[in-house]
Amino acid sequence: MRQQRSIVKPIVSMLVLLILWSTTSVFQHVVLAAPAETDSCVTCHLALGVENLTKPAENFKSDIHAAKGFGCVSCHGGDPTIMGLEAMDKKKSYIGKPTGLQVIETCGKCHADANFMRRYNPNLRVDQVAEYFTSVHGKRLKEQTDPKVATCASCHLPHSIRPPNDSRSSVHPLKVADTCGSCHANQEYMATYKIPTDQVEKYKTSVHWQMMASKGDLSAPTCNDCHGNHGASPPGVSSVVNVCGQCHAANSELFNKSAHSKIFVQMGLPGCAACHSNHAIVATTDAMLSTGDKSACASCHPANSSGGMFAAKTLESIDRLKASTNKAAFALTSAEHAGMEVSQPLFELNEAKTALIKARAAIHSFEQAAVEKEIEPGLKVSERAYVRGVKALDELQFRRKGLVISALIILALIITLVLKIREMERKPK
Amino acid sequence: MATNETSLPVDHGRRNFLNWFLGTSAGAFLVAVLYPVSRYLVPPEVEESTAHTVTLSVKTQELKANSGQIFRFGSQPAILIESPAGVVRAFSATCTHLGCIVQYRSDISQIWCACHNGHFDLNGKNIEGPPPKPLEEYVVNLRGDQIVVSKKG
Repeated sequence: MRQQRSIVKPIVSMLVLLILWSTTSVFQHVVLAAPAETDSCVTCHLALGVENLTKPAENFKSDIHAAKGFGCVSCHGGDPTIMGLEAMDKKKSYIGKPTGLQVIETCGKCHADANFMRRYNPNLRVDQVAEYFTSVHGKRLKEQTDPKVATCASCHLPHSIRPPNDSRSSVHPLKVADTCGSCHANQEYMATYKIPTDQVEKYKTSVHWQMMASKGDLSAPTCNDCHGNHGASPPGVSSVVNVCGQCHAANSELFNKSAHSKIFVQMGLPGCAACHSNHAIVATTDAMLSTGDKSACASCHPANSSGGMFAAKTLESIDRLKASTNKAAFALTSAEHAGMEVSQPLFELNEAKTALIKARAAIHSFEQAAVEKEIEPGLKVSERAYVRGVKALDELQFRRKGLVISALIILALIITLVLKIREMERKPK
Repeated sequence: MATNETSLPVDHGRRNFLNWFLGTSAGAFLVAVLYPVSRYLVPPEVEESTAHTVTLSVKTQELKANSGQIFRFGSQPAILIESPAGVVRAFSATCTHLGCIVQYRSDISQIWCACHNGHFDLNGKNIEGPPPKPLEEYVVNLRGDQIVVSKKG
């Protein structure tokens, strides 16, 4: 009996400990979700009158986490029900200002928990922490304990965290470049890493930034669309085509089937970026096929090589279709402005414009036949439209001449009538 | 003075010339008026179109679910689609990327641009590829068996 009692006691103790552990882990998230009615952190910090201590409490009012009912304790720990320094007791999980890995752990506590996040935003991904440790930032933090690398709080400004679709958010598409640039464009800060610091400056000359900033197209790519956000890394040389192909699917598909695809990998050339650049991607022009300073081909292909000849022939075909389309458009719009009905040939001319764009896309196959296949039908359409435009302008001239002749006839009739009347008045009675 | 005028000899040559010229001018005047009238009465080679409304040549009973067709809206291409659920909609057929003419793909039930593989859903919204914004939507009215498409607003 005594022996039985001695076995039961530790079992009961273990059960009690297990129950206590499980309840604390369950309540951990409940505490996060239900802050105390009177938050001593906010009360004290607002009363301190020191900017770096009051600002977090002021800013946090507009933070998405505050809107969802979270308080300072959710990230910093401590006990917000106690006034005074006792609230910041390390025994009460107080961690103060989290740094480095602590930030990742603090955010990941909720954001990597699918069951927890489902209660607030079921669509939000919960793999950010896992992704982060695949990034250059995460690897350096974990493996080299580099304190300068970006953590969650570097991009999602703490105490002012807003969702990416909020235009005030530091991760809104229009702000991402500047957010990344706050470190990556800082020469002094980046000096130890020996990587360029002109990415943001170059990006802001690109057609992508132009689309986003000037035309308000928020779907245009910014840093994270090519580098990843939480898993931010430079895309590998062989992955560039896939990354650009997310949007430019047709061009990347043609490129992948072309002879260039394999050769570029062998030569270590970064796919699309070899001709279009990476951050400073300017709008493409037909001059890229020329032999001038804007040429994309001439740096590898001399003019008398097969590649150089392909570029020259393609440029000639494209110029031919472009000239033919422009000529037809000029004739038709001249006729239209003069009041002639030319909507049908103008409508048909859209097919020639489509053919021109398709031909430009077909260049990525680097096959003359594929380009000519698009050029030929475009030429037929534009030539037909030009004939209709000339016919309309001829008809316009005919009408103008008719108007002048009619006016002269009417004038002659009036003069004759006047003379006739005078003659009748002079008749002898 | 009046007596002097009445006593002047009558110039028959001048009168004949004036009569001839008057007759010819009147005839030419009639031709100048009647020719444009006759040209107006003959129908033009292409039908006139208005910029804001177009009545399509296709009839409602000729439409098929999960299909689309290009039609002319003024001088610009437009696309009429009937969704798999039987909803008829019309959009501008000019791709918002670089201006190619889009088409309907029944295999994926989407509007598609062949130039750069841009995809639009059945509401005209850009959902894949480079197009930066949705296609302009037109209003479709069915009057009996006629389909009338007009611009919004």
